[in-house]
Amino acid sequence: MIVNGQYNIGHICTTLQCERGLGEKTAMRWIAPAEDPVAYSFRDLDSQSNRFANVLASLGAGRGDILFIFLPKCPPLFLAFLGALKRQLVCGTLFANFGEDAIRDRLGDSRAALVLTKRSLLKKIERIRSQLPHLRRILLVDVEEDLCADVLSFPALMRGASSSFSTPRTSPRTPSVLHYTSGSTGKPKGVLHVHESLSMMAATCREVMGLGAQDVFWCTADQGWVTGTSYGIMGPWSLGVTQVHYGGKYDPRRWYEIIEKEKVSVWYSAPTALRMLMREESPLAAGCDLSSLKRIFSVGEPLNPEVIRWAKRELKKDIFDTWFQTETGAIMIANRPGTEIRPGSMGRAVGGIEPAILSDQGDPIPDGAPGNLCLRTGFASMFETYLNNPGTYRQKFVGEFYFTGDTAIRDADGYFWFKGRSDDVINTAGHLLSPFEIESTLLEMEEIAESAVIGAPDGTLFEKVVAFVLLHPQYLPSRELEVRIRLHVANRLSPIATPQELMFVDRVPKNNSGKIMRRVLKARYLGADEGDLSTLEDG
Amino acid sequence: MNLLAALTDIFKEVFDDDEIRITADTTSDDIDAWDSFSHANLIVTIEERLGIRFEMQELLSFRNVGDLMRCIEGKSGRPSQIL
Repeated sequence: MIVNGQYNIGHICTTLQCERGLGEKTAMRWIAPAEDPVAYSFRDLDSQSNRFANVLASLGAGRGDILFIFLPKCPPLFLAFLGALKRQLVCGTLFANFGEDAIRDRLGDSRAALVLTKRSLLKKIERIRSQLPHLRRILLVDVEEDLCADVLSFPALMRGASSSFSTPRTSPRTPSVLHYTSGSTGKPKGVLHVHESLSMMAATCREVMGLGAQDVFWCTADQGWVTGTSYGIMGPWSLGVTQVHYGGKYDPRRWYEIIEKEKVSVWYSAPTALRMLMREESPLAAGCDLSSLKRIFSVGEPLNPEVIRWAKRELKKDIFDTWFQTETGAIMIANRPGTEIRPGSMGRAVGGIEPAILSDQGDPIPDGAPGNLCLRTGFASMFETYLNNPGTYRQKFVGEFYFTGDTAIRDADGYFWFKGRSDDVINTAGHLLSPFEIESTLLEMEEIAESAVIGAPDGTLFEKVVAFVLLHPQYLPSRELEVRIRLHVANRLSPIATPQELMFVDRVPKNNSGKIMRRVLKARYLGADEGDLSTLEDG
Repeated sequence: MNLLAALTDIFKEVFDDDEIRITADTTSDDIDAWDSFSHANLIVTIEERLGIRFEMQELLSFRNVGDLMRCIEGKSGRPSQIL
């Protein structure tokens, strides 16, 4: 995969595939909701990403500058991502449903120079533009002419750019992709990866998913998510594998149709989506022919055993759970074909990865006992740093081990079993949410005096957001206020962060230092033992 | 205000977009931000603003705005009533 010391991900996913003789092979089957599928060959990807690399050059953007793509799934997203990497920019992705607070935190912290978006999303950026002094240009994929000197037409720029581009030789440690992830305190952190990370994505595509030249691969993850870039763009294309991408929303019948018509052979999805499919009509009863499907993989949250049993019964297939996180860039632990699936387990370490269960001090914990899930450093897809946050980065390591923030058990046969988080981060439908961010957003409302947010178990989402709010004395709880609170969080942060349950309380438990005691709230919510309350304020 | 106009206002509020225009044929594929999470917000807001309650089976039957309107009209007993 690495030829003449060229580690550039954009080059390897496009130009190198053409040099391997795959230029005319279909790289992407793009399926828009109400249109016929469009095929993009590897040569199309190469020439179009070259055009975008030249567009960036014409705009004076180069090595180390940061471009964010703020778009729903659409062909320009993929072309721009690869083109930006060819030009050695750092490319970040944002969920299209992010609200202005979430956008401002990410563009502001990263000092992004460019954003690629569409007209309907532009207003969210315009509202915060004055707080983004480093943002030089906004490119729109759906306008034919420039709107002003710094809001430009992507199609017009692409038409005027050459399709020839010579990717500069890129060293393995050159920064590549930027994803923001949430912690239990503070603002989201920018997880910076490097071009060398591709080797781990490619290795896991081959060795875990068994991807080969004849496969048609469908990763349903949004590109705002690390799975959507590592396995929805880079890993499969670095191996010359055809990918399906669908621009529509979750629709069970449509999903089954896509598998059938596009002859998808390897499918990578998430437990929440699979649990939602479980509630629908059986695909076999609906007359869908899913015989092309060879393997199904899942990521994002623990896969519950009943989903595995449903897939065996209704899809006639096993589902292999995989585990990784934004910081690790590629799959670290997995169930995989040819080995025993232990339902409910994360699987075993992938080749070259050395997980360990350690105490907070870094001491080994025996098999069968819970502890911190850690990874020995030194693998290629390990993140480079948290952008502008080296202190937090250093805190994630003890000796040679990276502390993932997850807790787990390893059994005697080397299978890992997820137990929970060692912090307050909420995993809802595979998205990590910071209670601090949601609490801060709630406090923006004039009615709310105090707020606290926890994650609680949920049958579909794995965890749901539960918010406790204390109103200022002059306000009373009401259904109307509840709706406004939901919409405020959805529109300022993201609909994913919307509290699924909202409780009006007359006190938020805090310790003597004023820190919110989320564990007490969670215990009360779950009806469990509240534990040590000695530090509870006025307890 | 007729039902379509009332729903348009709700869509603008839920999706934080003053330029949204909806018709009976509008589906989630026509509005970028309309995903399963924002759909829940949309339903809760419609229920609160219009003073109605949807049944789970009704929620599963909506394929477009037209389905939603017919369901709401069925609850009020009058087509496109003034709300």
